[in-house]
Amino acid sequence: GGVCVWGSARRPGGRYFPGAPSTYRASSSLPDEKKEFLQNGPELEDFVSGDFSDKSMWTEYKGNLKRQKGERLRLPPWLKTEIPVGKNYNKLKSTLRSLNLHTVCEEARCPNIGECWGGGEYATATATIMLMGDTCTRGCRFCSVKTAKNPPPLDLNEPYNTAKAIAEWGLDYVVLTSVDRDDILDGGAEHFAKTVSHLKERNSKILVECLTPDFRGDLKAVEKVALSGLDVYAHNVETVPELQRKIRDPRANFKQSLQVLKHAKKVQPDVISKTSIMLGLGETDEQVYSTMKLLREADVDCLTLGQYMQPTKRHLKVEEYVTPDKFKHWEKVGNQLGFHYTASGPLVRSSYKAGEFFLKNLVEKRKTKVI
Amino acid sequence: SSEEDKVTVYFINRDGDKLTAEGKVGDSLLDVVVDKNLDIDGFGACEGTLACSTCHLIFEDHIFQKLDAITDEEMDMLDLAYGLTETSRLGCQICLKKFMNNMTVRVPEAVADARQSIDMSKNS
Repeated sequence: GGVCVWGSARRPGGRYFPGAPSTYRASSSLPDEKKEFLQNGPELEDFVSGDFSDKSMWTEYKGNLKRQKGERLRLPPWLKTEIPVGKNYNKLKSTLRSLNLHTVCEEARCPNIGECWGGGEYATATATIMLMGDTCTRGCRFCSVKTAKNPPPLDLNEPYNTAKAIAEWGLDYVVLTSVDRDDILDGGAEHFAKTVSHLKERNSKILVECLTPDFRGDLKAVEKVALSGLDVYAHNVETVPELQRKIRDPRANFKQSLQVLKHAKKVQPDVISKTSIMLGLGETDEQVYSTMKLLREADVDCLTLGQYMQPTKRHLKVEEYVTPDKFKHWEKVGNQLGFHYTASGPLVRSSYKAGEFFLKNLVEKRKTKVI
Repeated sequence: SSEEDKVTVYFINRDGDKLTAEGKVGDSLLDVVVDKNLDIDGFGACEGTLACSTCHLIFEDHIFQKLDAITDEEMDMLDLAYGLTETSRLGCQICLKKFMNNMTVRVPEAVADARQSIDMSKNS
């Protein structure tokens, strides 16, 4: 393609235009060698798309992966992503404004947005809607969502409006999540549950996953959400028991989170339970394995593992960048331990292609008549 | 004058390193850590809204005695902090005054040791 050369332009006649773009350096005045270089050299797409999935780059990466004292690790190549494109992605994005929906995908600038919204071979586009506002009552060391002691009051029309919008949107699988609302008596459980029931009323075929807070261990609140008609009950333990105190708000802890997951199943045995942990915060392999066993023993069905990435300077530094191969190892371990599925990879997040995994697994299990 | 305003504070971070920072009278200790890009991570998660205890700092006795009285709101959050001491306060609530010039504050451990799971704080 054509090349636009910035720099001072000397026009015939001696007039001088510093900084003006010059197309006067027409290709016909270049030596043949240069012409060929431009003809056969990189196009714009090469710079934009890059070659980030090239595995040979990953194994050759010589950068430090384990943080030393005082150091801040550099981002390894496997954590860089492509720009989202595609028909599905554009369609979902363009209807968002008119429906007034807030997605954590956009708010948190998740790098997987193109993949999830695009849907996969099962054509299951997934999006994660944020309920109850964008301000949390807790400050965890790994999360950059805004915090306040008293966030703005709930919009009582939100459950109805959100359900209406989601039904119109035409998603196959929706994840509803929220911030912690310790300022509300039931932690927002009723609000959550109403959104699910309204949604199922409008479209009984849509699959609904709720990624809930711990409601400060209030099991009645957990029950309210578990009985709302949802398909998947998710709550994130975030890390191994030994690091809970360091990375999560002190009001959260492993035992409480495990109780949330167990109780959801107790009151609604048909529900599928799910949790997520971040790697790279200083945990050991033994701790990760032992945590996975504890989760399986609590009958948690689905597990996701992803790389922790430091959102701002006020948050914890990354202690280690875990390699893609190591993540694959944990996936194998998860499968061996008997989880319905284990989604494990550096960029995997709690609701990463959730619909995709869910249906793919369900279909496969039905084929072998396990379920 | 602008010189009168300046206060030097020494921070001992979790690695035991001594960091030197200069703030102005009125800046909170959280402001100093964030604005001066001090090497203290996981500090100030709630951005000073008294909704976490990640800016927990330990003061020298003679400085601690002279700090403004603690509010109930600060106490609620401070009570949840790991490694609480008799001279602990939340950095976002302590604003620099001239008498603090050349004081040393310590950033407490976030967890005893990655291998231990014992926590002696009130919250365990």
